[in-house]
Amino acid sequence: MTDVPSPSGPTTGAVDVAPGLQRWRSHPVLLNVLVAAALFGSAILVWVVPRSIIAFMAFQASLLVIYLLPLDVRTKLAWAAVALGVLMPMLGTHNGYYMEVAIQVGIFVALALGLNIVVGLAGLLDLGYVAFYAVGAYLWAIFGSPQAAKFLPIEGVFPLPAPWFFAFLILGLAVGAITGILLGLPVLRLRGDYLAIVTLGFGEVVRVLANNLDKPWNITNGPKGITPISRPPLFFEPALSALGIDAPPSVLYPLLFYFMVLGIAAVVIVINRRLEGSHVGRAWEAIREDEVAAQAMGVPLVRMKLLAFAIGASFAGVMGVIFSAKQLFISPESFTFLESIGVLAMVILGGMGSIPGAIIGASAVTILNLQVLKGLSLWLNELRNSGLTVLGYNLADLPSQFEPAKYERMIFGMILILMMIYRPAGIFPARRRKLETYHRGEEPAA
Amino acid sequence: MDWELLLAIFPQVVMDGLVLGFMYALIALGYTMVYGVLELINFAHSEIFMVGGFVGVEILLTMQATGWLDTFNPFVILIFIILMGMAVSGVLAVVVERVAYRPLRGAPRLIPLISAIGVSFFLQDLVRLGESLWRNAFYLTYPSFAAFNTRIEIAETIDFSVKSVIVVVASLAMLFALQFLVTRTKLGKAIRAVAEDQPTASLMGVNVNRIISLTFLIGGAMGGAAGVLFGVQYNTINPFTGFIPGIKAFTAAVLGGIGNIPGAMVGGLVLGLLEAFAASYLSLLTGGAFGAEYKDIFAFSILIVILIFRPRGLLGEVVRERT
Amino acid sequence: MTLLEARGVVKRFGGLTAVNGVDFSLDEGRIASVIGPNGAGKTTLFNTFTGIYAPDAGDVRVGGRSIVGLTPDRITTLGVARTFQNIRLFKNMTVVENVLVGMHARVALRLWDVVGHTPAFRREEGRSVRQALDLIGLVGLSGKEDALARNLPYGDQRRLEIARALAVGPKLLLLDEPTAGMTQGEARELMAFLRRLISEFGLTILLIEHNMRVVMEISDRVTVLDHGEKIAEGPPAQVQRDARVIEAYLGRGRAGAAAP
Repeated sequence: MTDVPSPSGPTTGAVDVAPGLQRWRSHPVLLNVLVAAALFGSAILVWVVPRSIIAFMAFQASLLVIYLLPLDVRTKLAWAAVALGVLMPMLGTHNGYYMEVAIQVGIFVALALGLNIVVGLAGLLDLGYVAFYAVGAYLWAIFGSPQAAKFLPIEGVFPLPAPWFFAFLILGLAVGAITGILLGLPVLRLRGDYLAIVTLGFGEVVRVLANNLDKPWNITNGPKGITPISRPPLFFEPALSALGIDAPPSVLYPLLFYFMVLGIAAVVIVINRRLEGSHVGRAWEAIREDEVAAQAMGVPLVRMKLLAFAIGASFAGVMGVIFSAKQLFISPESFTFLESIGVLAMVILGGMGSIPGAIIGASAVTILNLQVLKGLSLWLNELRNSGLTVLGYNLADLPSQFEPAKYERMIFGMILILMMIYRPAGIFPARRRKLETYHRGEEPAA
Repeated sequence: MDWELLLAIFPQVVMDGLVLGFMYALIALGYTMVYGVLELINFAHSEIFMVGGFVGVEILLTMQATGWLDTFNPFVILIFIILMGMAVSGVLAVVVERVAYRPLRGAPRLIPLISAIGVSFFLQDLVRLGESLWRNAFYLTYPSFAAFNTRIEIAETIDFSVKSVIVVVASLAMLFALQFLVTRTKLGKAIRAVAEDQPTASLMGVNVNRIISLTFLIGGAMGGAAGVLFGVQYNTINPFTGFIPGIKAFTAAVLGGIGNIPGAMVGGLVLGLLEAFAASYLSLLTGGAFGAEYKDIFAFSILIVILIFRPRGLLGEVVRERT
Repeated sequence: MTLLEARGVVKRFGGLTAVNGVDFSLDEGRIASVIGPNGAGKTTLFNTFTGIYAPDAGDVRVGGRSIVGLTPDRITTLGVARTFQNIRLFKNMTVVENVLVGMHARVALRLWDVVGHTPAFRREEGRSVRQALDLIGLVGLSGKEDALARNLPYGDQRRLEIARALAVGPKLLLLDEPTAGMTQGEARELMAFLRRLISEFGLTILLIEHNMRVVMEISDRVTVLDHGEKIAEGPPAQVQRDARVIEAYLGRGRAGAAAP
């Protein structure tokens, strides 16, 4: 009955991530110096050569170093705060593309964590996850742009004023959750593989609807998509001016989105951790392990599955609202089956049911897509334009249709196949909690 | 409402539906046979189908470049490319099973499914990569044959193109051949035995691995043939062509009762006809509010409704729950 | 007082009638056993008592309340817990987590308590963990709380399944072949433990057993099924002498060897 492979990690606590590094635990000063060197060294490198992808990847790698070294949790969080709260915004302002990468990573981390609840914890393979993201995105796109006026007979209200954006974050959460429940109600009794296909069908239905609901009423504006979508207000601008900092909106908007995504991703991580370490998370894992036994132990199957669907979908709904505001333009093209599989590949690469896995998987795949493949494409283009001849082959003859940046499918496909065959529990498999990490309340009097 | 128009296009719609339906039926066989023996939704089957289409177009384009296209009888060429499409797709299906599914046999049900999705995506981009490097284009067009495009006029408002007839006749021939193979030969008996009960079949001396490979070979070959016919009928093909027909064919397999070979044929025809009617009449019946674009939603809705309310499908093969 | 009562329970699978009009009743505080040759319908009967199958006909009542049509988790919250013939632990969860899952229905927390780590959450979680540890101690698995269930030796897995079932807080405990794979000594130990559960916790227990010595020793009442029908019922000594029972077991030639 078990539908998804289960994490098989040894029973280790939260701190000791990389067992091989454990013997350095007794040298905290050395470790901290190492972290500082990696972090600031790579940050300076990025600052000096802002166009070097390798420099930025070194910076990203230093974040991984913080996670892997055997430091205590508070120190790690402090370093992460320095890196993500101070260094990253500086580097991102220096080179706007890196800010874009960081925002995208944040969005996908939240999506991967949402899908991780559904697939990783509850063991329900959802192949239409991007539909919930689309629902959130269209929600704000329609009302945060003149689009709503095209089918609602109200004059002069749309687009809603920018501050409404924040209300729509909550609304996106709610609508995502409701959509999750509406989809879940009829399908959650299905067997695992049928559920997967039905969710795929649902995802496609949402996309086709978005593509065609420009008539009889123009709700989604069809394949042309919706634009311009309002951005949230730069509410902190007056405060910055008072401090004597005058930055143009082109700098402030990315910062706003960056911190918003960072904040929401952090909240999502905390919620994930708390759910995982509660009766809810245990019930989900029990369902994944053995539905029949879980139900026989008093776990209400349908309710718990619906809860997983709703929570996963609500994260996607919120992120959709942010995505549409950030992009200013959305169309059905952004919400294809490929996107759903992309998020699935992130979860599977990191390790189903593993929170660090989902975070690292999402970062790795996004960076691979946005930096490595794009970088290769740019490099190939340069080669083409260089007019060089290598071994009698004129590089200008490289086929123009060959662009590594467009080969996401191959990357996702290889991740899925190779992980299933060689490492189904992922690169950072979920680890079991030890008893000492549980709240045991006040000990009973002896 | 324009009843006369509705009536006038009726035969045309039926023919379109049949062409589509037979195509779905051919593809659906691959899904249903593999599900029968492995209880696996072979997600990569849509790409097996797509590869068949590319084999056809590559051969035709090569022949066109060398000028052979005009020297041979078009029907001979057609038979040749169908056979080649079947061979390549069949072998590819066997290779996919070896590489991506066999190591996962006995794993929880969703593991090979995820691997199959991976194969599907991988193959799409592999074909794209190959064609990009080879032709610097991956949206390819089938060279047209005047002989296939001729229309046979039956009545004033009814005419069929020769290629539609070809699709129907070729599909029928293959479906009958398969039905014969499965019900009348020793091989077919072995396939059915493996589908029924693998351990017992193995005890009875059936080489289970060989039969599974053979199932992929046959299912893949049918998919490849469908790919070639798809190209001949609709002219263009690209690496992502397989996805939608794949989902539809899977729907057909589920509709007919997955694991059930005659069911796949019936399901394919029913779905093809329903879709053709939806495409032609939806717009007319709703006064243009909902057009042919909704035919995909139509198919997905059928899939969802059947899975939820009658997972055994129309012909009602009971799928055993694996515990 | 009657805790469990079944009237004319029928369960069919296609053409096969697995349970055919079985009546059954069990009083509070007793131990009863269901025995019968393989395929007699014992586990199917269990499954109709726990809601895994809905009976095609007949009624099952727990504490006077009909449970027909209720989902297994609802029946569990009415105080019915079970173990499985082929051990169905949550293999990749730890021992303590397995037991904690059993307490799921008794955790009175809202989602907000969990997400906000409210005092109520800490209190409830603390209470659950302490209870779970007590139960783990009770079945003799202390010190193995953090082990993965699948890494436990077979006997410990059976104990853990009982601890998990007890975590539900049951009035009625259904055990499907609890001594399977155990030595005679271990089986005896388990029976002593079950007696303790009845006296200390006021439980009522229903067993499916193949180990006749165990059955005859511990049961207040024995029910014999064959081909889905009840062929005998009564105190162990009486059932042991019943001609139909002897035929059911021995009348199949060598097959009787399977049931010593």
